[in-house]
Amino acid sequence: MKTEKKQTKKAPEGKSYEEIRTKTASGDVVVMAAEEFKEYVRSNGTKKAAKEVDVVTTGTFGAMCSSGAYFNFGHADPPIKMQKVWLDGIPAYGGLAAVDAYLGATELDETNNMLHGGAHVIEDLVKGKAVRLKATAYGTDCYPRKEIDTYVSLKTMNQAVMLNIRNCYQNYATATNSSSRTLYTYMGKLLPEFGNATFCSAGEVSPLMNDPYYRTIGVGTRIFLGGAQGFVIWEGTQFNPGVPRTPDGVPKRPAGSLAVIGDLKQMSPDFVRGLTFTRYGTSLGVGIGVAIPILDEEMAKHCAVTNDKIVTAVFDYSQPSRSRTVLREVSYAELRSGEIELKGKHVPTSSLSSLHKARQISESLKNQVLKGQFMIEKPVQNFSMDRAMKSLDVRSEKEAM
Amino acid sequence: MKTKVVLNFSPDAANQPITHNLIAKHHLLVNILRAEIDEIGGKMVLELSGKADDIRRGIDYLKANSVGVRPIKEGVRRDDDVCTHCGMCVSICPTKALALDSKTGKVTFTEEKCVACGVCIDACPPRAMEILI
Repeated sequence: MKTEKKQTKKAPEGKSYEEIRTKTASGDVVVMAAEEFKEYVRSNGTKKAAKEVDVVTTGTFGAMCSSGAYFNFGHADPPIKMQKVWLDGIPAYGGLAAVDAYLGATELDETNNMLHGGAHVIEDLVKGKAVRLKATAYGTDCYPRKEIDTYVSLKTMNQAVMLNIRNCYQNYATATNSSSRTLYTYMGKLLPEFGNATFCSAGEVSPLMNDPYYRTIGVGTRIFLGGAQGFVIWEGTQFNPGVPRTPDGVPKRPAGSLAVIGDLKQMSPDFVRGLTFTRYGTSLGVGIGVAIPILDEEMAKHCAVTNDKIVTAVFDYSQPSRSRTVLREVSYAELRSGEIELKGKHVPTSSLSSLHKARQISESLKNQVLKGQFMIEKPVQNFSMDRAMKSLDVRSEKEAM
Repeated sequence: MKTKVVLNFSPDAANQPITHNLIAKHHLLVNILRAEIDEIGGKMVLELSGKADDIRRGIDYLKANSVGVRPIKEGVRRDDDVCTHCGMCVSICPTKALALDSKTGKVTFTEEKCVACGVCIDACPPRAMEILI
């Protein structure tokens, strides 16, 4: 026993990935859902937690920017090299090959009907519905057909793969509105005169809040994606780890994000939802969960983070600028209390991220790990901490070089 | 007692001081929850508070003046299969009929508190809320 204690003190790697994987395979793994783990640490401390607990499961469900899915429809007879592609009237990008297309979640039809965009078509497919596929082409010697109008479903397609290039934001802004009119934004309906404030993070349950420096979450990490198992394939776009952080290392602004992939055919409509933000557009509600290995006390400390220790900034969305001024910083404990104080006013708060579903995901993931159905992966490659977020300015060709 | 009613009226009836008469002659407290009036008539959703007899007489008065009166038990309905319990509706609901239960993480909908104002309808990202009036 003594030697064991000495080892944990000396070696920063208290447990190896291999050890946790072996325990998972044999059914001896100790897993806790994020909230359960925080409670455990409160009574037992991080040292004991690091020793006793192998895996902490996290989750988040919210409107995820930059989501979509690609499909391979199979070849028609005579074959067609699809140039323009529509799925239930929503344009998909077909400039890939003959019968591949990518459908973005925010894509709308030509009438800009925001009640039914790319996200809703993806949800319909996940529900098992058939959707209408139309495609046109200029025709070639090898692909003579010039148009097709048919129905496809997940059953008929060769591949249907969710591929999201920016999901699972590590933290996000809180939005409010000082103007005299209601604003309709991607942060929801913002009532005038600081009538409400909206935020979009599962806070302490959210995956990247529990691994703030991306030590265990990187390229190759197996994840819960939309009810299926998927993978992290890259850093998410706009990955911006250099923002100000709390003493615990948690970013106080939008920072890290993930690019993820998973089989749409295995997903569940409970965790893949078409969403409409009035007068803004559509987005995809995606459920993501990560099982975090408690390699050592440092990871236990990270996973012990609670809502009162995670802060974000409140921005006035009536300011039509990319660099809005920070009204104040608030903790997720304050946001979750139902109201925050802004300019002397009690402002009711709303979450755009479902805590209920985040909990469902972390619980589901916990059970999968316990049953040996979900294996922890060591990242093949970690994310670069040097990434910074650049802005888009109107510039000359020379300035862009 | 309190009751919620939907009134449908023709342009003729629209020219009469109906709400005033409900208050002055029938001693009712009238809360206008919704009002839409145009050239072909109008629709109003009222919450009437007062003695049961006064409410009955007030409704009789409306009917006598060609105003269609329909009591409503629920003005807004939530489709529980569609709701993701995100909580977007919570901060915009003026009566707290929609509230987040911090223990369960679920959004509760207390129909008795709902005044059918409808602000939640277009605020709900998965479109789980429906107005029935």
